[in-house]
Amino acid sequence: MIILEGVSVRYRIVEERRRSFQAHLINYLKGKRLEKHTLWALSNVSVDIGEGESLGLIGSNGAGKSTLLKVVSGVIKPAEGLVTVKGKIAPLIELAAGFDDELSGSENIFLNASILGFSRREIEERFDKIVDFSELRDFIDTPLKNYSSGMIARLAFSIATEVDPDILIIDEVLAVGDAHFKQKSKERILEFRNRGVTILFVSHDMEQVGNLCNKAVWLDHGKIMMTGKTNEVIQEYEAYQSGRKKDENPSSPLRKQG
Amino acid sequence: MVNSLGEAREIFRYRELLRNLVSRDIKKRYKRSALGFLWVMLDPLLMLLVFYVIFSGLFGKSIGQYSAYVMSGIIMWQFFSQGTKVASLAFLQNRNLINKIALPKAIFPLSIVASSLVHFIFSLVPLFIIILSTGTKIGPNLALLPFVVGIVFIFSLGLALTVSTLAVFFHDVVYIYDVLLLGWMYLSAIFYPVSILPGKLQALMSLNPLYHFISLFRASLYDTAYLTAEHMILGSVFALLSLLTGWAIYYVNRDRIIFYL
Repeated sequence: MIILEGVSVRYRIVEERRRSFQAHLINYLKGKRLEKHTLWALSNVSVDIGEGESLGLIGSNGAGKSTLLKVVSGVIKPAEGLVTVKGKIAPLIELAAGFDDELSGSENIFLNASILGFSRREIEERFDKIVDFSELRDFIDTPLKNYSSGMIARLAFSIATEVDPDILIIDEVLAVGDAHFKQKSKERILEFRNRGVTILFVSHDMEQVGNLCNKAVWLDHGKIMMTGKTNEVIQEYEAYQSGRKKDENPSSPLRKQG
Repeated sequence: MVNSLGEAREIFRYRELLRNLVSRDIKKRYKRSALGFLWVMLDPLLMLLVFYVIFSGLFGKSIGQYSAYVMSGIIMWQFFSQGTKVASLAFLQNRNLINKIALPKAIFPLSIVASSLVHFIFSLVPLFIIILSTGTKIGPNLALLPFVVGIVFIFSLGLALTVSTLAVFFHDVVYIYDVLLLGWMYLSAIFYPVSILPGKLQALMSLNPLYHFISLFRASLYDTAYLTAEHMILGSVFALLSLLTGWAIYYVNRDRIIFYL
């Protein structure tokens, strides 16, 4: 269960980054307060995701989708508002962030799973399942620097989803690896959904959002434009997008959206 | 401060991560070099050699057991300085993880100081070799060693939290701390006796926590003369002050760190 009530997140964008004492001092002596302006990455956002629901987050770049994921996973504490999250979260966000390429596959399993907060015993219990799902048994003692990027993604996906989560947070990475593994990872996520795991999914791929989610939120510049049934929200969003495209680019209305 | 117990409990819950970070650090540092683990021994021995060649003529007479004196100074200094120096970058270098996954961030400086403790324990081997091979006797206060190591660990952790947190907001802190360490080393009576300092400076030495730590270390190893109430009390007070300060600075700023990484 995830409830956000009136959540606002503020980034302070400093014009000249106030990172050195020197700059700080000079500006202070000049009597110049550094020009800061505030960017509201999220402003007054309220979202309610019940147990077993799957919510898609859509919106153009910089709309605040990733920030919202970070608020839910606890990486960012919002400046205002209330966040209630019940259940164990599995963040499928930049899966390989915790990997170290000088360590072997199995060492990385222990490292990455402990980053997710697991105890040694819990990791040992899951170790074989993780290795089996990743299909990397033969390479598990090889340093990660000799893995292909597909292999790394497979290992990361296997670790992050072998945690029996109550809430799954997915940022664009619905499917990784080769065609065979893509199919496998998709099936696993669908299996989670059918088992009643709450899913929060960010994507620019409207087809995937439509397939996976029963509810959607459309964000724009940190504000909620619309909440509702996935199909309806996607329709409105796409109509809005193509309207904007036409305004910007009237000569080629059929150009494919990047 | 009482509220911060929850954060401390979180760190404890992530102890498996702490273990993995420390063992990764140890593995990475020694796996690749041909001499591997021997470097733990060679590094302080080479430093000792340099100090000995240059300064033993100068200070050797006024300090008995000069090799043991210098070697214990070097090893204790490295435990403190290496740990806090590397830890100053703890948040900056782990920004990728801190940006993606919710975890108690203090685990990063803590793991670096803990790695430094492991290296320190290994480097006790060359230290004991030097002490025994130069005919110095291990003193009766060896039981004091865990206490001494404990307060230095606490002191280093506090300073590591302070420096690493401040470095997020002002990058210059990293460089300033580097320079500070250099001066600090020369002020810590590692290779000279305190008695050569002018009177006023000698009195100021009691404000230098490392002076107390190194003296207590020497006391626990081979020379009871260094065991004084002043060292015990001031050493402990500095350690606690450092931890309280560091923890407070970290705790107050912990949720702001992410916006400045």
